[in-house]
Amino acid sequence: MEMIETRNLTRKYGENTAVNNLSLTVGEGELFALLGVNGAGKTTTIRMLSCLSKPTSGEAFVDGHSCSTESREVKQVIGLSPQDTAVADHLTVRENLEFMAAVYGYSKAEVKQRTDRIMEEFHLGEVENQRAQTLSGGWKRKLSIAMALISDPKVLFLDEPTLGLDVLARRELWREIEKLKGKMTIVLTTHYMEEAEHLSDRIGIMISGQIAAVGTLQEILAKGGADNLEDAFVAIAEKEGIA
Amino acid sequence: MNRITAFADRNRKEILRDPLSYIFCLAFPLAMLVVMTLVNSTIPKDSGMTVFRIDNLAVGIAVFGQTFVMLFTGLTVSKDRSGSFLVRMYATPMESSDFTLGYLLPMLAIALAQNLLIFAASFVVSLITGPAINPLGLLASLITLIPSAILYICIGLLFGTLFSEKAAPGLCSIIISLSSFVGGVWFDPDNAGGIMLTICRLLPFYYCTRSGRSAIRLDFGTDTWVIPLLIVVLCAAALAVLASVVFRSKMKADLS
Repeated sequence: MEMIETRNLTRKYGENTAVNNLSLTVGEGELFALLGVNGAGKTTTIRMLSCLSKPTSGEAFVDGHSCSTESREVKQVIGLSPQDTAVADHLTVRENLEFMAAVYGYSKAEVKQRTDRIMEEFHLGEVENQRAQTLSGGWKRKLSIAMALISDPKVLFLDEPTLGLDVLARRELWREIEKLKGKMTIVLTTHYMEEAEHLSDRIGIMISGQIAAVGTLQEILAKGGADNLEDAFVAIAEKEGIA
Repeated sequence: MNRITAFADRNRKEILRDPLSYIFCLAFPLAMLVVMTLVNSTIPKDSGMTVFRIDNLAVGIAVFGQTFVMLFTGLTVSKDRSGSFLVRMYATPMESSDFTLGYLLPMLAIALAQNLLIFAASFVVSLITGPAINPLGLLASLITLIPSAILYICIGLLFGTLFSEKAAPGLCSIIISLSSFVGGVWFDPDNAGGIMLTICRLLPFYYCTRSGRSAIRLDFGTDTWVIPLLIVVLCAAALAVLASVVFRSKMKADLS
């Protein structure tokens, strides 16, 4: 079953086309990586799929609901961890999670139960009562993703989840993301080749607002005629006349 | 309702855990209460200047304190808007009315608590300096000043929505200076008369202090309390509607 579908999705900002005729599908339980350089249109795509931007033309569907006309239904089934961590600075880790759960309208008992469960899954116990503003970058990212998961979304959007993290924090976060694989549909944007290579079931290479190639790692390597993703990416970009 | 209370609770904690909010919203107004009480003790009784007499001063300081709640409202909203916190919230089932009420309600509770503390301190000061303020008058004034608090909070909400994290506090500071001056916190516009009184009467701030000062004296006359309070209520309602409409249209623009 397709969990995400876009049909000729286009977003223009004045003369600039951020996303151009994007048509793709992401299956249920799949981890799909949108790989591209800065300004490729990855975040704009995520924004349209999470009802934060309206497409100039084309359509996007999440769990069968239109992102343009059924945003309320879409927002009930998605979780978003934006590029910036977007946590409440003066709230503790537990309070941030409880706050997000309460926003989804759960009862007090369920808020506590969900918070306890997600804290355990993400090993947040040691920073439970620490204010978010005092957390390291890695912990903040973990909290941000945990907040996006508090409502048990069917689709999770992770916008550059490891941007700016050191190698140890990145690997730690990869492990957490890997644990989520198969439990929900995940769309992850990144410009780190090894991240897309390591985590994703399928990769979409985005160049200048368009999908230049989409497929499994092996399919992308074959298309680029290379034996590693970076070379394949460059070959595909050159073919598209970008690099 | 769950969403509003959750967001209100978050905003209350964000403000109350910022040490600066205690300095500006409580310590500074209380310090001004003490300073102006000392100033009042040096003013000759026959001068006819009663603006710093403790009953008048208490209300003036309470309104002055509310302007700092406005400042922190503007700061909180503009900070949320400039970062990606609201982006995350926009992707949840939160609607624009949840946001506006979620900002307004905790700020109103903070303003009420602040005024209660200022009035308690004023009561103690009045017992020392005399004349003692009637506790019933304090209660009446506390209630009378609720629309005034809403008015200031809505100005903060409006500025926080419309302007950046850097511009909103600056504009709020202008309103703090303007309202404490033309609102009659530091001087008596009725005694000044002339063009000054006319300017004061054109703005809602004057009616905030006027209705509060009448209430503290348990003077509920039409001209002294009813009409000024009615003006404040109408202005607060208009600003609440305006702030809510502006927030909704900004949210719509952000999501377009």
